[in-house]
Amino acid sequence: MAKPIRSIANEVQMQVKEKRPFTILTVLKNRWFLYTVSITAFFLLWDTVAYRRVFGGGLARPQEVITQLGKMMVDTMAGKSLMGHVWASTHRILIGFSLASIVAVPLGLMMALNRYVNAFVRPVFDLLKPMPPIAWISIAILWFGIGEESKVFIIVVGTFVPCLLNAFNGVRLIEPQLYDVVRMLGGNRRDEIIQVCFPAAFPAIFAGLQISLSIAWTCVLAAELVSSRSGLGFIIIQGMTLSKPAQIIGGMLLIAVAAWGMSLLVSGLEKFLCPWKREVMSQ
Amino acid sequence: MAYEQVSVKTPLGLRVLPFASLLLFLGTWQAVIDFGVVPNTMLASPTQVFKLFLVKLTDPNPDGAVLIRHAWTSVQEAFTGYILALLVGIPLGLLMGWFVVVEGLARPIFELIRPIPPIAWIPLTIFWFGIGITGKVFIIWVAGIVPCVINSFVGVRMTNPTLIQMARTYGASDWQIFRQICIPSALPMVFGALQIALAYCWTNLVGAELLAADNGLGYLITMGRRLALPDMVVLGMIMVGLTGVVIGVIIDYVEKRLLAGIRR
Repeated sequence: MAKPIRSIANEVQMQVKEKRPFTILTVLKNRWFLYTVSITAFFLLWDTVAYRRVFGGGLARPQEVITQLGKMMVDTMAGKSLMGHVWASTHRILIGFSLASIVAVPLGLMMALNRYVNAFVRPVFDLLKPMPPIAWISIAILWFGIGEESKVFIIVVGTFVPCLLNAFNGVRLIEPQLYDVVRMLGGNRRDEIIQVCFPAAFPAIFAGLQISLSIAWTCVLAAELVSSRSGLGFIIIQGMTLSKPAQIIGGMLLIAVAAWGMSLLVSGLEKFLCPWKREVMSQ
Repeated sequence: MAYEQVSVKTPLGLRVLPFASLLLFLGTWQAVIDFGVVPNTMLASPTQVFKLFLVKLTDPNPDGAVLIRHAWTSVQEAFTGYILALLVGIPLGLLMGWFVVVEGLARPIFELIRPIPPIAWIPLTIFWFGIGITGKVFIIWVAGIVPCVINSFVGVRMTNPTLIQMARTYGASDWQIFRQICIPSALPMVFGALQIALAYCWTNLVGAELLAADNGLGYLITMGRRLALPDMVVLGMIMVGLTGVVIGVIIDYVEKRLLAGIRR
């Protein structure tokens, strides 16, 4: 059974794909050309809008944002450099995120594997689930003050839900045939859980972690916007109080970079830990 | 006989357990307040919250509006932003899925903006629009548009290629394929976005109201914290959760009616 070096069927399909819309406009159809045009147009538009002061003083020009970022790199704000603030936010997320996932993922797995655990935990979980994590901020401040604990608490609350739900659904949606295979090969319940449940639920768990991560960023920002002396949320709220739009936009860009980097890290970890994950959207 | 016993016995425990756990939860909550384990300045008991709920139905003090008005303001803001997000996001996502030019032009900007949590827009929107309804609608719009675009994009991309090739064989134009094959086949994904976008909108609405508002459920929570009234905070949280669930059920119903004929 030699593997075909060049599959004819694939070859045909590739050609069909190439002949998708706008073949005539050969130059314009190039994806990278379009990307360049789009990004350039975006920055030009941004610059023009800021220069013409469409929003009054509420928008900074791109170069101002870069200058401001450079300045913040050197200066310290509230006793911390820019990287210190980025780390403050990241630090909170790491603590809250790991706490939540360490508790929620096993709990979700247990709920899926045992009906009694499910019957016991589910109602309380369903009661607390619909409250957005941001709504917990006020009560967290009443409980823990405005220190680190309240921020970590909000992140835990926010990331708990998707972690648990995805672990639960990951086990629930396993194809029953896989269990049949293990049983037919003489496996007991323990084999079923270790050989089938965990590996098959892994991609879903990681999807839950990815969702949690983006929620964690929302939570930490909201908490920092409400009250804090450090973190990226502090930077943008400080920009608002000092009415420096360049600082706000710089902070937003940093948040985007940090959030993007962290989600990249998680997907890298996922590729490393579970190479058997099937690609759903390969094209 | 034995068969009946087994089939009845197991669900009995399972039937009782949810109620037991709920009662235990509420009972513990009530008890820690009543016996002073947790001071009343930090948490209100369920009965206190319920009492305040009854009072707040008619009494606008101390935060300036009755409960229904807070809820209505929030729902109004959330729905405006939500509908706008659907109106812009779904067509954009569908077009991005099919037309290379639209994708090439819109995608980089979308990818640039997507990782920024909508909450981070709050300071800028306060600059731009003040603390009125426009700013909040903008934040909700930003929050809601992301899942709309992604889901409709993926929906079009997941169209069965055989159908597209068949249509092309029969001489259908690009636009015809898009309209008659890609859109219908993307519909289930698009409708999936409705719920996701709603959840995003609702979460971020609360965030927007915590920071800049003079009305609404998020404002109720903030006022509760400022006045150190834990019963008001908890009431606000419960109302946010409850309203979210009610809206979710309504959207679910609408979705089921609209999708009545479509195979999922």
